[in-house]
Amino acid sequence: MSVPLQADPATLGTAITNSWILLVSFLIFFMHAGFAMLEAGQVRSKNVANQLTKNLLTWSVGVFVFFLIGAGVDALVGTGSFSFVPGGESASWISWLYGAVFAMTAATIVSGAVAGRAKLRAYVTYTVLLAAIIYPVVSGISWYGTGLLGAEGMIGSAIGAPFDDFAGGTVVHAMGGVAGLTAAYVLGPRIGRYNDDGSANVIPGHSLTFAVLGTLMLAFGWYGFNVGTSGIIGAGDQLGRIAMGTTIAMACGAMGAGLVSWVKTGKVDTLYVANGLLAGLVGITAIPHAAAWWGAILVGGVAGIQLPIVFEFVEKRLKIDDVCAVFPVHGSAGIIGTLMLPIVVAPEYLAGLSYGRVDMFLAQFAGVIVIMAWTILATGLVWGVLKAIGQARVTPAHEQEGLDISEHGVDTYPEFGSDDGIAADGGRVETDGGVVMDDDTSAGITADRFETDTNGADN
Amino acid sequence: MSDTDGEIKMVTAIVRPDKLGDVKQGLAEVGAPSLTVTNVSGRGSQPAKKGQWRGEEYVVDLHQKVKIECVVADIPADDVVDAIAEAAQTGEPGDGKIFVLPVDSAVQVRTGAEGTEAV
Repeated sequence: MSVPLQADPATLGTAITNSWILLVSFLIFFMHAGFAMLEAGQVRSKNVANQLTKNLLTWSVGVFVFFLIGAGVDALVGTGSFSFVPGGESASWISWLYGAVFAMTAATIVSGAVAGRAKLRAYVTYTVLLAAIIYPVVSGISWYGTGLLGAEGMIGSAIGAPFDDFAGGTVVHAMGGVAGLTAAYVLGPRIGRYNDDGSANVIPGHSLTFAVLGTLMLAFGWYGFNVGTSGIIGAGDQLGRIAMGTTIAMACGAMGAGLVSWVKTGKVDTLYVANGLLAGLVGITAIPHAAAWWGAILVGGVAGIQLPIVFEFVEKRLKIDDVCAVFPVHGSAGIIGTLMLPIVVAPEYLAGLSYGRVDMFLAQFAGVIVIMAWTILATGLVWGVLKAIGQARVTPAHEQEGLDISEHGVDTYPEFGSDDGIAADGGRVETDGGVVMDDDTSAGITADRFETDTNGADN
Repeated sequence: MSDTDGEIKMVTAIVRPDKLGDVKQGLAEVGAPSLTVTNVSGRGSQPAKKGQWRGEEYVVDLHQKVKIECVVADIPADDVVDAIAEAAQTGEPGDGKIFVLPVDSAVQVRTGAEGTEAV
């Protein structure tokens, strides 16, 4: 039997393309493990399970909503007709998943900004709306020729150049970063993050180990994100350019952020190096297909260098508590990379276009403005409404106790097991081992520290 | 026994974590190898350190120490104190403190032995 050799080239081509798309989709999916670890490491130990739960629900709830609604809205905005995934051809069963892993990357960025104080129901509500409408509108106007920013779209044709965001530097990352910043602004800072005079306090996360593990897991998945956005058959020199540029930009981002922290404090800050590595990746994500090799160095380096500066600006000037630095990592780095395309574009790429650097910049600028305006408006509206009805934030008591216990009833790092005998509640115990449930805490009873209930039915 | 008059004493020492090995050695040499060790944080004469999180510095004035508790009856507490002080000393601020407390009674859980025998 030699069936594969007898298959016609078209069938073989489809099989190779499908294998490639599925492979990179799985790689991009794995970025959720990276986000989960990165965010878990950057929050305090009392909020770890809450952060992990948000990451799990971002994927689960988000991908479900994107399957039923978001993928269709994306097509509606891009082409004018809604497409329902289950009703489509089998090819769309692969392509929707490919779109979904990008959509969920945008969604999960937000959880890092609102860590430690957002109500779970508020976050899930926002995730549903992001997966159903907010992100699909952004991808729809950007990634279809007939979309608003596309070559045949209203803005794209007016400028004479399409918005050129290859893998989602702005569509996915800047969108997620700006959404996170907006949500964090509406929510307000964590208790204790700022003093009455407006000066900021540092609230260190609980594990640099997890943060760095998550960073490198994300970088691994990012190869799927950037290289995987290119087709594999007949990709020409594009595939190599993307793999090379992605790698170089990531390296320069880490070095750039490390260098700035060294200059600022005399020490190479581990978390800045890790955040800078991601900022370098975000910076190149819009343009890895077009940037010259030296352009990848420049974009990655600038993305890394801006990170400490922008983080400090957000913290000290805007006074927004962006817990996991999602704006400097995903937001500003994505915008800068997208806008730098005319500067760093490879001559071979430019030669193949019908427009020059000026129109190219206008198209990039218009794309960034439109996407940011929509993201801020939609995100601000959703969180604003949630705040107005008192559902955006947990109570101060719950925040101080930690969201793990108050929102999920779990203890991420339990010190003692549950099988340690009788439980006491405010100094009172019952001999059957149960916790006293009534609210009778009159002085006479609480004074007896180990009063036993001899009338208990079980005795 | 005579030099301790049957008294039970607890020697509590708070020392540098990297001196724990030396202290264990010193206690073994003086004949009081039994001890309890706890990780603790505290502040005394040691100057504050600078911590850093995402490039921002903050003051850490609670330093990592280990607390060693050593209960003795037939070994003079002074000998135990001297052994710990000698083993834990570096001469720099932050070497720690040693306290000696009286112990009212003691019971060995396995045997039920009480008083000095339990120690």
